[in-house]
Amino acid sequence: MKYTKKTFVLEIIAICIAIVFLVPFYFVIVNSLKGFSEILIDAAALPSEWLFSNYVRVWEILDFPRAFFNSLVITVFSNIGLVVISSMAAWKMVRTPGKFSKILFILFVSAMVIPFQTVMIPLVKLGGMLGIMNSIPGIIIMYFGFGVPLSLFLYHGFVKTVPIEVEESARIDGCSQFGLFWRIVFPLLKPITVTVIILNTLWIWNDYLLPLLVLQDASLRTIPLATSSFFAQYTKQWDMGLAALVLGITPVIIFFLFLQKHIIRGIASGSIK
Amino acid sequence: MKRFLLLCVSMLLAVGIIAGCSSNNKESSSSDAGGNSDSGSSDEVVTLNFFQFKVEIADQLQEMLKEFEAEHPNIKVKLETVGGGADYGAALKAKFASGEKPDIFNNGGFNELELWKEHLADLSNEPWVNHLLPIGKVPMTDADGNLYGMPVNLEGYGFAYNKDLFEQAGITEVPTTMSELQEAVDKLEENGITAFAAGYGEWWVIGQHLLNIPFAQQDDPAAFIEGLSEGTETFVGNKHFEEFKQVIDTEIGYGNTNPLTTDYNTQVTLFASGEAAMIQQGNWTENMIYQINPDMNMAFLPIPLNDEAEANAIPVGVPNNWAINKNSENLEEAKLLLDWMVSSETGQRYMIEEFAFIPAFDNIEPAGLGALGESILEYSVAEQTIPWTWFMWPDGANQDFAAAIQEYVAGQIEYEEVLEKFQATWDNLK
Amino acid sequence: MESTVATKVKADTKLKIGSTRKLKLKKLLSYAAFVGPALLFFIVIQIIPFLMGIYYSFTSWNGISSSIEWVGLENYKRIFSNDQRFFDSFLFTTKFMFAAVLISNIIGFSFALILNTALKTRNLLRTAFFIPNVIGGLLLGFIWQFIFVRGFAAIGELTNISFFLKPWLGDATTAFWGIVIVFAWQISGYMMVIYIAALQGVDTSLLEAAKIDGANAFTTLRKIIIPLILPAFTICFFLTISMAFKIFDLNLSLTGGGPFNSTQSVAINIYQEAFTNNNYGIGSAKSILFFLIVAIFTTIQVMITKKKEVEA
Repeated sequence: MKYTKKTFVLEIIAICIAIVFLVPFYFVIVNSLKGFSEILIDAAALPSEWLFSNYVRVWEILDFPRAFFNSLVITVFSNIGLVVISSMAAWKMVRTPGKFSKILFILFVSAMVIPFQTVMIPLVKLGGMLGIMNSIPGIIIMYFGFGVPLSLFLYHGFVKTVPIEVEESARIDGCSQFGLFWRIVFPLLKPITVTVIILNTLWIWNDYLLPLLVLQDASLRTIPLATSSFFAQYTKQWDMGLAALVLGITPVIIFFLFLQKHIIRGIASGSIK
Repeated sequence: MKRFLLLCVSMLLAVGIIAGCSSNNKESSSSDAGGNSDSGSSDEVVTLNFFQFKVEIADQLQEMLKEFEAEHPNIKVKLETVGGGADYGAALKAKFASGEKPDIFNNGGFNELELWKEHLADLSNEPWVNHLLPIGKVPMTDADGNLYGMPVNLEGYGFAYNKDLFEQAGITEVPTTMSELQEAVDKLEENGITAFAAGYGEWWVIGQHLLNIPFAQQDDPAAFIEGLSEGTETFVGNKHFEEFKQVIDTEIGYGNTNPLTTDYNTQVTLFASGEAAMIQQGNWTENMIYQINPDMNMAFLPIPLNDEAEANAIPVGVPNNWAINKNSENLEEAKLLLDWMVSSETGQRYMIEEFAFIPAFDNIEPAGLGALGESILEYSVAEQTIPWTWFMWPDGANQDFAAAIQEYVAGQIEYEEVLEKFQATWDNLK
Repeated sequence: MESTVATKVKADTKLKIGSTRKLKLKKLLSYAAFVGPALLFFIVIQIIPFLMGIYYSFTSWNGISSSIEWVGLENYKRIFSNDQRFFDSFLFTTKFMFAAVLISNIIGFSFALILNTALKTRNLLRTAFFIPNVIGGLLLGFIWQFIFVRGFAAIGELTNISFFLKPWLGDATTAFWGIVIVFAWQISGYMMVIYIAALQGVDTSLLEAAKIDGANAFTTLRKIIIPLILPAFTICFFLTISMAFKIFDLNLSLTGGGPFNSTQSVAINIYQEAFTNNNYGIGSAKSILFFLIVAIFTTIQVMITKKKEVEA
């Protein structure tokens, strides 16, 4: 595609929209560098004095390295597990058409509309019985259960666009089912895998209610749990809270920037239509 | 198909067994620990789980618990604070459902006491009960006269007013009746001062605190509330609820713009920065006000419904209590901690100096209170107080009440309909 | 499953009975090995608690007490006979769903189209549009509340534009649109990513052929691009519908259901019933009803778009 005058105009418009889009971040960042009373009196202005001490204090209060580590472990392992189990299941279900697969698919998909609030009390009750409360492996298992429907749904849609001929030729070559899937099919699913990882990461990294209910030890706290301690019913400590928020979202932004290269590369390689 | 199901079931079982085993291990190890402490080895350390929602004091509370641990080497306390957007109640219910029950936790009293009573330890015979003020006993005392909780502190609210702005407008007498308040706001208006910072965006400010006034001004609030549930009393036609209209009209008529979008932070900021002369809030706003304006000169005046002498009273109550899980393995240690918090020198020092609480005990001298806390104390000493009644309302009614008041302020409904809505809410939720 | 295997077996009548059995077993095992893990976690974590929820919906449990009393259909009767608020919240959620789904998909798709051209800054822009997603629901609501109340007022005073001077969250209509705006602000970048992935899969030779045939941009879009990426639309619509229907965190922290309950979503209504009003039984009954309705809704949506996919 060529870069024409029209593209230039489009570019200017897009940049303007992007700036409007980012205004809330201006508020977040600017106010995270102000004292509490200054935030309340004038939220829009630049800080009269740039207070980086907010960040230093938040780092200490949150025990940030530990919270970061917990969030990271939970997010990474939940992601790996979800990608493995959902891609396998989705592929098999697509490649074995029939009533059973269809019913199963509807079951998975309809569970996506179960509001979390409905299952939360029975879930912790069951969790207590199974002994998976208050532990990081326990919450990862729960994320497997909650994440499967969406991940499977996305894979399911994508597998259908993968031509079956590739698999058939591999089958003739005598590949086992697992070998066939991991060596031939899974690499073809890369674009959707990246999408699944991005979506699950955003959800798990920012999730509040499930960790709140499951992780009770202070040493197991995730970043959102730790951040929420600045927001009470009556007093919202915006100075600390916003600094904590910036600290908490920076890793996700870096992560996204990193992955978006892969989205483009994965698609540009042209392995799929 | 059958085989497949069988496979699923067996996999489920396998997981169940594995998980079951691990949970069994956990249980047996914890019962071992219990066994040891029974055998009386003094170096056995027990851990108390302390679950609370007052985020404001979380850091100081942690400090205090450290000192407690230092004085009691065989007791460790794990503090967990849940506040903010999360519902403390939902988290607590989840804990009880999963079996990870805390030893000490918050309870609001009255209806909440009834709700949780089967889990609460009877504290009637604790040493601190003798020093507990009568007002502090009410919320956690059941029909049989047993006490199930220790009040965290006392709080009060009313119209906090800016003394300097009142002086500027030439108001010399503190208004204590509706007519005097009306005069005062007129004077403020003449001098170009906004009278009220009205925080009608927060349901608890209006649906709970403000609406408490006509409830608490009834001759016998508890009887009135019972009468409402039995159908012998109604909102429509009740003198104090009819008078309540004027309070709202005055506050809105002489208040800031956009009261319905004014949240707590905005409301307090308006008042603290001198943009409004009065605010309907409690002494808990003190710290925030001093943070914005360290030289604030302020005190409380009542929220008057009429011109009678009884109108000059401030609602003072127990915002929350500490309760103990009666099935706690460490019941004695939990009781010890509560007693230490209000009887030991260290505990008392934290209560008055670090938390800046108004204590609910007659053996603790309040100190370190700001102007608003002092003002509440003065009304208490003069016995010009009325109760907090919302803990006796049906669960969830306060948010519905707030919605009806908001609708009135937005001009969607007439005041008569507000009272009808109150009635409908009550009948529906009681 | 059984029927599939059966038809396949029928097609292959030459095989001996013994080997068909073997084949059948092998297929079964392989199916179980691939689908089993996902199904297992799903059943333990979601289905069993959900079934327990159904049980609670027939009880008067308050969420705390150790005694749970069976009340039959009492909770459901009560919801249908005496709970206007629940139906109001349904109405709000449905209206919100339509507005939010349309707007966020239009914006997301437009972004994807714009960023699929040869813009110099497209990587940067892609990030900019996507970034709102990194803030979780609760805090997002708090921040936007701050912006609607303070930020808009500040801009309004400077510019005197009436748009910014409105009490955005204090009026039923504007509060509704306020939530729609924030939802779209957050979610359209997410949709954009999915649409971009789909657009990049479109064969460029097809587009060039269309150009040579003299088709204008709009016709190309309508006749070639959209039909080709219909699966992406299915996914995006499904996602936004289920997210909009389940809206909770954002709604709770932005408006708290106010003013005067005009923006109370079903999820908040359920949550309050269960945890504020301490009627866990009724709350469960409501969520079962909610689940049924949403399930029907999304099934219809998926059926319609799938049908279109097939036609295309």
